[in-house]
Amino acid sequence: MADVRDILDIERANTPEVTRESFLVQKRRNFEKAKGVSKRPEGMHREVFALLYNDNKDAPPLLPTDTALGIGAGYKQAKARLGMKKVRKWEWAPFNNPARTDGAVFHHWRRTTDDQKDYPFAKFNKQLQIPTYTMTEYNTHLRTNVQKWNKAQTDHLFDLAKRFDLRFIVMADRWDRAQHGVKSVEDLKERYYEVVGLLAKAKGQNSDKKSYAFDAEHERKRKDQLKKLFERTTQQVEEEQMLLNELKKIEARKKERERKTQDLQKLISQADQQSDVATNVQSARKYEKKLVKKKLHHQPRPSKVDSVVNAIEIGGSGIKFSDLRGSGVSLRSQKMKLPANIGQRKVKALEQAIQEFKVDPSPPPTEEICNAFNELRSDMVLLCELRTALSTCVYEMESLKHQYEAACPGKTLNIPPSLIPAEPIKEEIIEPGTSASTNA
Amino acid sequence: MSAGNMLYGGDEIGALVFDPGHHSLRVGYAQEDTPKAEIPSVVGVGPSAPDTNMDIETKTDNNITQNNADTRKYYVDTTYVNVPRTQMEIQTYMKDGMIDNWDLFEKVIDYTYAKVIQSDPEYHPVLFSEASWNVRNNREKLTELMFEKYNVPAFYLVKNAVLAAFSSGRATALVVDSGATHTSAVPVHEGYVLSQAVVKSPLGGDYLSMQCRQHLEKQGIDLSPAYKIASKDVVKERDNARFTLRKLPENLTQSWQNYMLKSLLQDFQMNILQVLENPYDERVAAQIPSVHYEFPNGYHQEFGSERFKLAESLFDHAMLGAGQLASTSVGMCDADVRLSLFGSVVVTGGNTLLQGFPERLNRDLQLRAPSNTRLKMISANGSVERRFGAWIGGSILASIGTFQQMWISSQEYEESGKGQVERKCP
Repeated sequence: MADVRDILDIERANTPEVTRESFLVQKRRNFEKAKGVSKRPEGMHREVFALLYNDNKDAPPLLPTDTALGIGAGYKQAKARLGMKKVRKWEWAPFNNPARTDGAVFHHWRRTTDDQKDYPFAKFNKQLQIPTYTMTEYNTHLRTNVQKWNKAQTDHLFDLAKRFDLRFIVMADRWDRAQHGVKSVEDLKERYYEVVGLLAKAKGQNSDKKSYAFDAEHERKRKDQLKKLFERTTQQVEEEQMLLNELKKIEARKKERERKTQDLQKLISQADQQSDVATNVQSARKYEKKLVKKKLHHQPRPSKVDSVVNAIEIGGSGIKFSDLRGSGVSLRSQKMKLPANIGQRKVKALEQAIQEFKVDPSPPPTEEICNAFNELRSDMVLLCELRTALSTCVYEMESLKHQYEAACPGKTLNIPPSLIPAEPIKEEIIEPGTSASTNA
Repeated sequence: MSAGNMLYGGDEIGALVFDPGHHSLRVGYAQEDTPKAEIPSVVGVGPSAPDTNMDIETKTDNNITQNNADTRKYYVDTTYVNVPRTQMEIQTYMKDGMIDNWDLFEKVIDYTYAKVIQSDPEYHPVLFSEASWNVRNNREKLTELMFEKYNVPAFYLVKNAVLAAFSSGRATALVVDSGATHTSAVPVHEGYVLSQAVVKSPLGGDYLSMQCRQHLEKQGIDLSPAYKIASKDVVKERDNARFTLRKLPENLTQSWQNYMLKSLLQDFQMNILQVLENPYDERVAAQIPSVHYEFPNGYHQEFGSERFKLAESLFDHAMLGAGQLASTSVGMCDADVRLSLFGSVVVTGGNTLLQGFPERLNRDLQLRAPSNTRLKMISANGSVERRFGAWIGGSILASIGTFQQMWISSQEYEESGKGQVERKCP
């Protein structure tokens, strides 16, 4: 109804203005009042009365809610009933902006109730402190410089710095090339920070303000490289990509080759082991049959021992622990982890050796312990390998002995005691192959 | 000033925004989302009226700028310009993106205040947009005009590329603006135009209209604009048109006829032409469904691959294609800002509404940008936002609370004169 009254220009009772509190409180009170008024007359049935009087005149809800009109605290938000209240007035009011230096007055819309504070956006008027210099300061500190800037150029630079708030890229763009020659962004920065540094030093305010050093050479180089990066043609980019792919391929191939040689080595050693047994039997027969040809036949045949020793020497024996460089932050204990490319058998042997020597299987990973532990385990692996090598050698020696005895019945091959392993020592192992053949 | 206003940073002070272009002048209040009026940037200049019935004429026309010295009559805005009148010449006040004929421009401003704004200029601060390559002389002249003749309380001048970037919510962007007379690529860095790296070409909507005209005339299609036609019959496709001519006043000038023809061609090009995403290929173009167009005289036909061939002329120039412009412009900028420029390429201007324009530009730029850069194109979807990008940016800027300290006020103008526009409006 407020609208109609407004239109007809009828004076309205002076109601208080709306605030959030006022209408929320008002609502509660209305409800209570209504509750008091609606009382069932005598003799009227409750059902009939319920049709007449309702708390709210809305249709009954389809779903039960506990929220209507303040029964319980309620989740439903109270509806704002604003129509009956007077609105707060706006006015087209003049304002003064303290951020302006000229005191110009503009107008904007403002609530009459709002207090006349300072223009709220003035506080965003932040300005950079660009140092200034006097003529004498210039003459004493700034006149001589390597880049041969003169006073006019320096003045222009500082003027631009003030106007564009040290946006050097824009400053370089607006640099007066006709008057002051062409300058790059780096030239401007170099001179600016040089001057600022010198002024700070001269004024002795080094203590509280950090002066920035600008490495112009580095910046120029960086930008040069950046430019080169941008100015690559598609051909160059493609070529680079191609080369990278090639490199990857080569590396993959190299790995493949390494893997293959390892496999081959393994195969050879396995095949040797098997064929050894076979050839031993065969050759024994041959010896029986062709005694005449014995001398000719007896070539220095490939001994198993050689291959084993070679394998140990080539394989570098021991464990190559991966260095964790380049993989970011990691725990030092990771250094002690066994690399994945170690075979299951080696790992087993290593575990056994660790148990055998009663070494703590996971010592605290300090730098020293890490290195020492890794070395130790590497040596252990070597030890295991050498042990197996030794045992094969001993086996071979025995078999040679048997061969010999079979070939020349009645004779026994005396193996010098130095070759019989009492305590395994490195030197012993390398010998047997050669000594066996010399003995024959 | 309420808390809500502070929250969004807006504070409106009744400012006006003017965005002059070659096709039209956009005018409206700051803080609104579209200009109040778009006035063609041409003025009809009629001969001095015969003295007797001049009063009646001025009442019926909008001729509000009659003065004693100059008895010629000026017609501003579409409804007055498009009327066939004896010996009315059409003249534009723009040249090369800048205001050139100041007398005519004043007429338009007069008209704007009287008929569009309908308020006195001294109540409204004015924000003008300008071409990025505007010269000092022009800027000072405009400042002088607004303060001296119109007594505006405050004035500001911003490059339209900056405004277009603002309307897309960017302070750093590469603005590719394709309008009526030219296409330009302007790098904007933190709200400032990098003026050394502005690149432009004279290929725009008008060039396309010319191409269309040549093509249609070669085809022998009669290009009678609607004003010539009194009535027309329905004919079959590609049949000769049957229509009767209207009775027109004598001595219609060539410039006016050309102007009317151009608006017909503009309609044609906006409805029919389309740019392929890849360079023109007869076979690809032939596969796309043709589009039907009926000319004002009733003649109608389907247009097939030629609609792509015509539009291709905007892109197939080795040096002047929009993609080439953009990449050249970025190439002239400092290496440090190139990435951020490629990261927001704002496409604006009426000519970019040509179907497929942004997609083609995107493709051309992708080819020219270094392979590891992130390229992002920002083009408003609505035709209003695209055509009035700079105006909307101006509307935003002029209604921001923190901007209100930037105006050149009349006090400042009186103290230091027009020269300060160079300092205050970089």
